[in-house]
Amino acid sequence: MTTRLPAALLVVFLALPVGVLVVQAFAGRAMVDAIATPAVRDALVLSLVTTTVSLVIIVALGTPLALLLARGRFRGRALLETVVDLPIVLPPSVAGLALLLVFGRRGALGEALEVAGISIPFTTLAVVLAQVFVAAPFFVRAARAGLANVDRQLEDAARDLGAGERQVARHVTLPLAAPALAAGLVLCWSRALGEFGATIMFAGNVPGRTQTLPLVVYGEFQAGDLEASIAAAAILILAAFGVLLAVRTLNWRRALDLRAGG
Amino acid sequence: MTSRWVAPLAVVLLLAACSSSPATQPVELTVYAAASLRDALEQVATAYVTAAPGISMVIATDSSAALRTQIEQGAPADVLLSADIANPQRLFDDGLVEGGITFFAGNTLVVIVPSDNPAAIRTPSDLARQGVRIVAAGDEVPITGYATQVVNALAELPDYAADFADAYEANVVSREDNVQAVLAKIELGEGDAAFVYQTDALASGSVRLVNIPDEATPIQVLYAGVVIATSAHPEAARAFLHWLTGPDGRAILAEFGFMPPS
Repeated sequence: MTTRLPAALLVVFLALPVGVLVVQAFAGRAMVDAIATPAVRDALVLSLVTTTVSLVIIVALGTPLALLLARGRFRGRALLETVVDLPIVLPPSVAGLALLLVFGRRGALGEALEVAGISIPFTTLAVVLAQVFVAAPFFVRAARAGLANVDRQLEDAARDLGAGERQVARHVTLPLAAPALAAGLVLCWSRALGEFGATIMFAGNVPGRTQTLPLVVYGEFQAGDLEASIAAAAILILAAFGVLLAVRTLNWRRALDLRAGG
Repeated sequence: MTSRWVAPLAVVLLLAACSSSPATQPVELTVYAAASLRDALEQVATAYVTAAPGISMVIATDSSAALRTQIEQGAPADVLLSADIANPQRLFDDGLVEGGITFFAGNTLVVIVPSDNPAAIRTPSDLARQGVRIVAAGDEVPITGYATQVVNALAELPDYAADFADAYEANVVSREDNVQAVLAKIELGEGDAAFVYQTDALASGSVRLVNIPDEATPIQVLYAGVVIATSAHPEAARAFLHWLTGPDGRAILAEFGFMPPS
């Protein structure tokens, strides 16, 4: 009894705002109408496209990094892991500012990029870079833990049986680490989908170009169009809920244990 | 080892190439505009794309100061329409403007309260009453400068307390990023009163106006537009500004309560 009341209070506190928002979104036809507005529709498309591109980049660059962190023996590993984990705890506004200081017109690389005719800030590419910056650590962490848990003896056994490194990776290492990689991937996707602070600072809030769903929640609220704001928010809530539920029911929980393999 | 890096690098370069390539045939004008112009500009854009075939428009709204910062950092805007002169002037001084500064509209300040007027505000003198929750914009937002002028002018009036300005400041409970956000907070009843532009007040169905004595009305609020130096289509941008100050543009701006610049 004494533990139930405080527990229930917290559950209500956590669930009520989200629940009310979703109910409001679906009450009447507000949600349906709002999704049809150009702002929400464009943002939905932009969010799907940018998060997909971000995921491709994160997997392509993050898997080798995770392998290095899981298997490599080298000095400064703790420092490297800390650097890679840092975006998880950084306020996104800090990430946005930092990206601007590197890629902005007056940024560290800004001039070189301008000479090359490349302008990154406040473009769709900036949205992708912001997402990669804040979301990549979630994938690398999970992938590192998963790869570290793969039994090296199984790989050696495959080698003894004549498998090449490529075959070992494809048929032994990756399948064994797959649940961890998949869990990291969905968490990473939901983080990229929800990315707001770094995006608004580094990519701005231009409809159809950099205005993703979380920015519509903010922008339409500011503009007084509460219904469009609620519709965009509801989409994000349902996506996040679906991701977490999937991770749980598909029994990827072990892969999510951040202590594992660290 | 090297081949592992080629694919991800190619993706990144491909993205960079996409973002840096010039816009495709129909010219897309990116207009960064003060938040108070949002509704009027929607209609302006609709009219202008009809009047100027081959032009499409993307409009991003925020506080003039935020937009100016984004442009300084390399945001790919063609035109900035600002709610003041100071922000375009700063871009001009930094050599980020092509051509001169064009005044295209005027506006004035009013006090708004939620439609049920919970704090019973009848005259601006009530803004200094203890417990009134005032929503204001940040110091960098142009309207704050105008509001300060009005408050200081009010403080000089005979029936206002000597500490009117300080008492007003003490009542400010929130500093929003732009005028639309200020308006939204009053519409939602989260604040008791706020200074906004007359045009914002007229556009909203859920706020009431409180008149400011003529003696305290600020010097007229002037809206100024500039073509950004890095614009890929400076002629098209210039033509749009010209149209905006012509009879068609003026007529739409007047519909939304904007005055001609004097």
